[in-house]
Amino acid sequence: MSGIGIEETEQWLIGPFFSSNHPFFSINKHTVIYTWITIGILAAILLVGRYLLSKKDSMARFTTIYVVRLFVGMVDQALSTFSFNHFVFITALFSFVFACNLVSIIPWMEEPTTDLNTTLALGIISFLYTQVAAIGEGGLWKYIKGYFSPFFLMMPINVVGKLATVVSISFRLFGNIFGGSIISSIYFTAIRGNFTFEFIGLASGFNLLLAGFFVIFEGFLQAFVFAMLSLTYLSLATQSEGD
Amino acid sequence: MEGFAEYMHYGTIAVTVAANALAVGIGQGITSHGALEAMDLQPSARDEITRASILGMALMETAALMGTFIAFLLLLQTNSTAQNSTLAGFAELGIVFAVGLSGFVLGIVSAFPARAACLAIARQPFFSRQIVRFMLIALSLLQTPIIFGLIVALIIRGQAGSIETVRDSLRLIASGVCIGIGSIGPAIGLAFFTKSACDGMGVNRSSYRQLFSFALISQAIIETPILFALIVSVSLLFVVPAFGAENLVDGIMFLAAGLCTGIGTIGPGISSGKTATEASKQIAYNPETYSALSRVSMFAQGLIETSAIYAVLISFLLLFLR
Repeated sequence: MSGIGIEETEQWLIGPFFSSNHPFFSINKHTVIYTWITIGILAAILLVGRYLLSKKDSMARFTTIYVVRLFVGMVDQALSTFSFNHFVFITALFSFVFACNLVSIIPWMEEPTTDLNTTLALGIISFLYTQVAAIGEGGLWKYIKGYFSPFFLMMPINVVGKLATVVSISFRLFGNIFGGSIISSIYFTAIRGNFTFEFIGLASGFNLLLAGFFVIFEGFLQAFVFAMLSLTYLSLATQSEGD
Repeated sequence: MEGFAEYMHYGTIAVTVAANALAVGIGQGITSHGALEAMDLQPSARDEITRASILGMALMETAALMGTFIAFLLLLQTNSTAQNSTLAGFAELGIVFAVGLSGFVLGIVSAFPARAACLAIARQPFFSRQIVRFMLIALSLLQTPIIFGLIVALIIRGQAGSIETVRDSLRLIASGVCIGIGSIGPAIGLAFFTKSACDGMGVNRSSYRQLFSFALISQAIIETPILFALIVSVSLLFVVPAFGAENLVDGIMFLAAGLCTGIGTIGPGISSGKTATEASKQIAYNPETYSALSRVSMFAQGLIETSAIYAVLISFLLLFLR
């Protein structure tokens, strides 16, 4: 990617274990480190929220409960029957993706979601969870029969359509976050070192506007879309056509 | 052919900026017209309508901003002379398609949701905050194609300096054509769907919650063909192995692969948008039918998008099974 102003990410080769130097057997160093930092931040926020729940009659307790209620309402509306497992899964997915998108407001960090591996992994997790939930809801036989509905010739279309959801859901997140990060990184590289441009950017609030739009707003929107789409696929898979 | 590369280079810059600026100008005219009509209908909601139209026009400027941005990058690059500058000049045609074409379509079509939002505020003046919020989120989701086009254009710009054969030049053009033509259909579908969702809020404000979640999900599903076009574009740029000798047939194959997905996504994009448009109209009239309608609509959209997937499959066969 040297052509577009982004240096090659450093990689850890795990080749020695497989006696191979193929890039397939390597790990993106930055992605792994930033993902773990993100998980750490999320865990800290959740522990604080848990502690705040024990404080009676406080603003913080009210806020925590309010945030959780929002998610409950979202899951409830989409699934029309509340399921605790689905609620936990969707909430975890949304918080992780949102934290990943937002983590680049910390200096020297970049979003793990600008790596296709992360978003593809998230898409596959969501897909597998949906399939397992569908099997658990209606049984294996009904699940297999679903591929041959409305009639048996539709089988390839159904299979391709199911697999395409993984690709589309992960590429949507990747493309949007990657595009936003490229645009802001090119802008900030261009104004770096030039006192006049930096001053104009800071004073007019354009820097803040750019970061606010591409990092916070776009990050929230894409995380929300990701969670809502997973929820929709889940509700399509677990609820039968009849009701 | 002295100076031909320069003509191509500066032509690229001019066409890209001009197409985007023209489209955004037309779009802003349509939006202002809608805002004035809305004020005529409901003069007491003047301030809300003004706010909505200004916010909408600011978001529509994204296309023009991206065009200017890529033009600046290309202008800064001018001094570094590449080895085969004629080929590089040809390859920059891909940028015209990737940013110019998608920005042209997007600049015009994103005017319709903003116009519909102004008219909706005229009908529901006390509901303007929710309508403006919905319009902002919907319009920023609508700008996805131009961001994808920008990614592809930046990679084309990075690779254009170092290409050596006509085949590679055609490869870069094909990549731009794929994302540029591929974003026309989905952009039109997205815009008409968003317009009808804004209309629906004007018709029945108690359908706000249902329409909001339906719009977010549907927009994400309608823009799936653009993602397929992006995948084919990026694989044209990176995955294809660059092997030895000059071979013009390979270049034409690349062009065919790009055109295949590009044209193949027009139909699914428009018809998927039409499906969601009808569903959102019915949801606005009758919000209780939300769950049934949204399920049927999403199922139909999934089937419609299969034809785009077939186009992508043919493109991949052209690319990898040579």
